[in-house]
Order: sequence, then C-alpha cells, then structure tokens
Amino acid sequence: MRYRGVKRAGSVAGAYTNAKIGVVQLVTTAKMALAVGALVAIGIVALARAHLRSEHMQERLLAALPDAVAHDPSLLNFASAQARPLYVKHCAACHGADLHGNSVLGAPDLTDDVWLYGDGSLYDIERTILYGARAGISNSHDEAEMPAFGLRGVLSEAQVRSVVQYVLQLSGRPYQVEAANDGRALYFGVANCGDCHGPDARGNNDYGAPDLTRNVWNNGGDPQSLYTSIYAGRHRIMPAWRGVLTLEQIRALAAYVYAESHAHTTRALPAGAGS
Amino acid sequence: MALGVLLALVGLFRTAPLPQTTVPPGYVALVNQKGLLMSDFIAQTQVETSKPFAQTTPAERSKVLREMIDEELLVQRAMVLDIPETTNEVRGSLVSAVNAQVAAPVLAYVPSDAELRAYYEKYRQNYTGPGSMMLHDLVLHIGGFQNADQSATQAQADATEAVYQLRSGASLAYVMEHFGFVNSGRMDETEQLDFAAKLHLGDKLYAIAARMRDGEVSEPIQDRDGVHILVMVRHQFPKVADFAAVRDRVYLDFRAAASSRATQENLALLRTQAQILIAPGMAE
Repeated sequence: MRYRGVKRAGSVAGAYTNAKIGVVQLVTTAKMALAVGALVAIGIVALARAHLRSEHMQERLLAALPDAVAHDPSLLNFASAQARPLYVKHCAACHGADLHGNSVLGAPDLTDDVWLYGDGSLYDIERTILYGARAGISNSHDEAEMPAFGLRGVLSEAQVRSVVQYVLQLSGRPYQVEAANDGRALYFGVANCGDCHGPDARGNNDYGAPDLTRNVWNNGGDPQSLYTSIYAGRHRIMPAWRGVLTLEQIRALAAYVYAESHAHTTRALPAGAGS
Repeated sequence: MALGVLLALVGLFRTAPLPQTTVPPGYVALVNQKGLLMSDFIAQTQVETSKPFAQTTPAERSKVLREMIDEELLVQRAMVLDIPETTNEVRGSLVSAVNAQVAAPVLAYVPSDAELRAYYEKYRQNYTGPGSMMLHDLVLHIGGFQNADQSATQAQADATEAVYQLRSGASLAYVMEHFGFVNSGRMDETEQLDFAAKLHLGDKLYAIAARMRDGEVSEPIQDRDGVHILVMVRHQFPKVADFAAVRDRVYLDFRAAASSRATQENLALLRTQAQILIAPGMAE
C-alpha cells in the first residue's frame, strides 16, 4: 500500500509537473498565437489602409480636372505606378516600351515635348487616348491626313525630291540649294503644303500637321523616309480607348505620359506641391 | 452540389446595384444614370466659347452643361421611341458610323504605285472618258403637215435616195429642200457629250450614231416621227484615260474599294453571329 502510496505520491507530482509544463506550453502557444494574430491584424489594417488610400487617390485622380492633376506630383506618381502595367499591355506595342515611339509604325515619341495634337497638356493627352486619331468616330482627331502627292499625281517624282530638299533645309540639315529652291516654290505653289504645315512650316496642332523645322519625325526624317511621306502620304491611326479601358485607367495613362514627357518639370516639383 | 446551392442562394439574395445618387469622379453629370464625361464637357465648352476652359465663366459653363443635358435627354428619348427603327436618317447615320469604324484601320494602308496600276488595269472601263458628237439629224415626216399624202413606203424610198445623194456629195441644204427633210430638233447641232446625245436622240438613233465616224451618213432609220437620216459632223469616241491622268481617281477608288471590302467582311462576320429568320416564300 505504502509503496503504492509513494508511487501514487510520485505520480501526482509527475502529473503536477506535466500539467505545469502543459500550462506553460499553452501560455507560450497562446502568446505566439496572439503575436501572430496581432501581426495579421496589423497586416490587415495596413492593407486596408493602403487599399483605402489607393481608393482615395484613385478618386482624387479622376475627380480633379486634368490640368490640376498635372500640377500634383503625388497624383502623378500614383497614376504612373497604376499606368505602367497598362502602358506595357496596351501602348508599348506601337510607342515602344521606353515610350520613344516607332518610326516604322509612325508612332510618336511620347517623351519629348513635340505634339501632333494639342499642346501636350494632360487634358489633350487624355482626349487623344479617349478618342484616338482617325479611329472612325467623330470625336477622333481626323481633321487632315498627309496627302499622297506622288501617288495622286499632284507632284512628279522629281518634284517630290525637290520638296524633300526644302524640308531638309527647313529642319536645319544639309540640302541641295537649287533643288530646295524648287521645293520651296512647290511648297507654296502647287503642293500648297503651307495650308496645313503653315507658311512658316511650324505645323498646326489643330490638324495634326507636324512642325517641319524641329527635326522631329514620326515616320523617319532621312531623305528616303521624307520622300515616302510626301510621295505616298501617311494615314496613321491611333485607336480610341474609351470603352476598352476604364476612365480611371485612361486618366492614369494620360498622367503617366504627361509625367514622362514633362520629366524635366514634373520631377523638379517638390513633393506635395499643388496637392 | 453544396457549391451549386450556395451560388443559387447568393444569386437569390444578392441585391441589384443601387442607383448612383452622386456624380462619380470623371463625370460632369448623370442623366438617368448615364454619365456625361467631364472631358467631353471641357471640350464642348472650349469649342463653344473659343476659350481655354480655365478662362470660361460659370455662366458659359452652365449654358454648355444645360445643352449637353438636354441633348442627352433627347438621345435617351430617341432610344425609348426606338427612333433608329423608324427614321431613315438615323438608320443611315448609324450604318455610316459602324462602317467608318470598320474602315478606319483599312484606310491606314498606303498602296504602292504597282498596286494602283494593277487596280487601274483591272478596272480600265471605269476610267473611260466620255465621248462627244456633233451631227445633223434630218427627218422626213410621214403624213406630216409638209407632205400629208406621203406614205411610209414612199418616205423610206425617198430617204434611201437622199442617203445616196448625200454620200455622193450633194449638199445638206439641197437634199433637205429636194426631199422635204427638216431638222428633227433633237440635236441643236452643237457638240454634245454622249450621255446628252443619247438623251436627245433616243436609244434607237443613238445606238446608230454611236458607231458612226466623222462625215458618215447613216442608212434611213424609221422612228416614231418619221424616217431619219443622221449625218455625223464630228465624233469623239470614248477613250480610256492614261494612268497618269487619272491616278488620283484610281487612288481614291482603290481606297473606297478597300473600305467596301472591310464593310462586307464585317457584315459576313455579323451574319455568322446573327440569327436571321426569313418568312416562308421569301429569300434574300
């Protein structure tokens, strides 16, 4: 019995020890669970806050007038982050992953300050993304196209070459004087180039007629490319993205292109300026 | 199965989206839940005032917004009234708008000289310039006031003799006086384009005139008002224009054909997706 009693006493002590260990383990586990729970909660709160902030920024981005967005670096940064994947998916195929355009496709460089339509304001960029150019809808930019002067028999091949020389002269590059003089006469005469490009050849952003004096070329500026542009004309199109992308996405893309093309000014603004 | 039941319950108790009670960002107004884009409002205001948006007055903006809302109301009303179903102009505009969208990418293609020339060769008949003719059309009326007793047979015999005389060098004036021919009055003896000559002469006489050469005298032609003799003074036959002379037209036609092909392809696609039932006894 005694033995049994001792044994029993030992058994009780062991049970007590085991219970104590169990409690400690339980407490430790509970603490860990609490810690993990707290971390998860913090994470959820952080995610929720980030989501709310993102929603808030999204709303601000779209609620602001386009040109107000242009003066708000926080919105521009937010929009750029949103827009980059969209740009890669929808725009890079023509304008290039680096936004420098593609002269084979006639897609303009989006990083410079030369604009076919409008003056490069965020509003103008957004309009072009919304409705495109020559997209077959009446809101699209479709005021004019580069006529096929050679194909349509307005100018002979030799005359087209003369106009090319004049364009080289206008853009400040080496040219043949005599041919350029002939080209100038054609520019103001039978070809009537000034009607769109202007008498000073500085282009017209209402028509989408490029400035010929800046030596920036969407379809290539070498003599052969210029010859092709004048001889066969150009009829480039840009799709209308309204209905394909959401308004938020279009605004973000417009802000992104604006930021990239105005990098020298937008990056100089202090954070929070204009917000 | 449980998932199916769950989805069914979700579908059953899901509430329909609530109507918007505030204007969402990016819009200037909601008209019966249809948004008017802020960007369109800015563009319209700038167009109407010829000023940058920032310089427009509240009154100017209000006016434009009111017009846009009015327009939206009328467009929505038009849809309720099913105007496209009943108004040909609207149907035409809708058709043109769809075709323009379909054709837009096609028109971006710039043809080469070789392609234009091939198109010209294939459709040369489209580039045929109109011919012209100047002729005398004499008629010998049968039973007319000038010779009431003259029979058709007699008139035909006289006309045959007159043709012989003319081909032998007799003057027009002599033949007219001798046989009693008069000017039919159908041609005014000036040069006329083919289509005008056909209109004036009538199909029967024109068919003969179209084959006559300068100075040629026709056989007698019986027509509804008597027996005619045509004397061709000058005939410019229709001529296919040189490619160089019509390349602009060829260019435009080439593009129009491309646009038309795009329209047809779009229609073919729409037909594959459509259910079209035609009444018994009718066919397309």
